[in-house]
Amino acid sequence: MMKQQINIVAYQCKACGKVHFPFHDRCLSCKGREFDEIKPQGNAKLITFSQIFNLPWGFDNRFIFVGVAEFENGVKAMGQITANDPGELKLGMTVKPTWGVVRVIGGEDVYGLIYKPIQ
Amino acid sequence: MRPVAIVGAGMIPFGRRDDDNLMDLLAYASLNALDDAGLGDKGVDSVYVANMGAGMLNHQMSVASALVDRLSLMPAAAEAIENGPASGASAIKNGLLAVASGYYDVVLVVGGEKMRDVSGWRATDFVASMTHPTAEYIYGITLPGMAGMFTRLYMEKYGVTREHLVQVAIKNQEMGALNPYAHVESRITHEGIVDSWHSRVNNPPVADPLHLYDVCPVSDGAAAVILAPLDMAKKFKKTPVVIAGFGQATDTHSLQERQDPTDLKAVTLASQQALAMAKLTPSDISVAELHDAFTILEIAESEHVGFFPKGQGAQAVIDGKTKLGGQIPINVSGGLKARGHPVGATGVAQVVDLVWQLRHELPEGRQVKNAQTGLSVNFGGFGNNVVSFVLRRGE
Ligand SMILES: [Zn+2]
Repeated sequence: MMKQQINIVAYQCKACGKVHFPFHDRCLSCKGREFDEIKPQGNAKLITFSQIFNLPWGFDNRFIFVGVAEFENGVKAMGQITANDPGELKLGMTVKPTWGVVRVIGGEDVYGLIYKPIQ
Repeated sequence: MRPVAIVGAGMIPFGRRDDDNLMDLLAYASLNALDDAGLGDKGVDSVYVANMGAGMLNHQMSVASALVDRLSLMPAAAEAIENGPASGASAIKNGLLAVASGYYDVVLVVGGEKMRDVSGWRATDFVASMTHPTAEYIYGITLPGMAGMFTRLYMEKYGVTREHLVQVAIKNQEMGALNPYAHVESRITHEGIVDSWHSRVNNPPVADPLHLYDVCPVSDGAAAVILAPLDMAKKFKKTPVVIAGFGQATDTHSLQERQDPTDLKAVTLASQQALAMAKLTPSDISVAELHDAFTILEIAESEHVGFFPKGQGAQAVIDGKTKLGGQIPINVSGGLKARGHPVGATGVAQVVDLVWQLRHELPEGRQVKNAQTGLSVNFGGFGNNVVSFVLRRGE
């Protein structure tokens, strides 16, 4: 399969610089309505995570790891994490963002962030 | 604005109710509240129905219109309120404002949810549909998953351990075992869920670091209250319970956009508003019903409400301060953990349990001695919409 680009857009307030993800119609800090679209940059730091066993309808896996990580330019985003045991992960560790199928909804592949732990 | 009292309260046992549909649940709880108020064959001016999932779970819409028909309450005004797991308290708030304004005199508020119509998979997906559709939901995040991520941060920041969570579960199931309305009526032991070899089977991880016994069950159930102006309360047969204060606050949809994701700002704001309106402080409260959909939330909310300083709620559980007879008894009903969590019903059920406490109607072993004031926290989403009430025993 072709290597996929991280297809996420974050929004930086033109007035005060606050970075938002996902989109808001008004800035959470200053209520500004104009944003520059920015791409998440570099690797990310893991903020928190959970190994989830009781999965919603549409998942065949026994479990998934989901977490939130912060990119080098301040974008924070949820994503799945490639891991088999919580012991493999530590808060604050560096994870490498990749883009892939995270879920199938109504027979269609849905793409999203998949973080790969790197020490 | 005129003071408003709860003059009737009713509930039906929560749990798996295979023989009842959603309308049955709502009707039975409503009748219990109408009878409790002694309304007999009289009507009400308006009906507020709290429900989150009739459309998705039961393939039924406009449940408030259907309910007034079932109860022969026409031509009363009627509407449904959907506000996630805070729907129950939201509906009471709307009823309260309608009576306080002088527009309506007698109002029925009923909350109900029929969740066991669908598989556990579907129910989990239904609740997860509250999360952000493109930034969260697609990843398979569930509400227990959100709570797991929150717990990990809370543990890191405040030194909360698995043992603290286990003690909340044991306490609430112990109280639930005494509550005939509770879904889970069995006690659990430390050995059964932590120490023994079979605890791995009994109490598996659900959303690490949370285990099965940290999570409330998926339940069917309903609860109802009747509201009236305080100056009319003497016409009803039970001791009135005054809604002395209420508060409501919202927070960001995504947890990651909160400056400090361990700070449940909406809980703090909603409870502060409710206490300020009642002119009370946390130490004036006799009994509290907090939204323990996950054991960590009972600890976190007890701190955010101000019963304990931040970081000391976990030790307070170990010290027995939140037990019946302790400094501030929390979830004497068994909480969501044992009573169950039919999402639309929960906020109303919390208030019904407090009404029973403040009327001093509960048997020994459940009744908080001479309880005069109660506080509830109904927590929607993952803390992005929170409603709190302060109740006071009337004359
Ligand atoms: Zn701004």
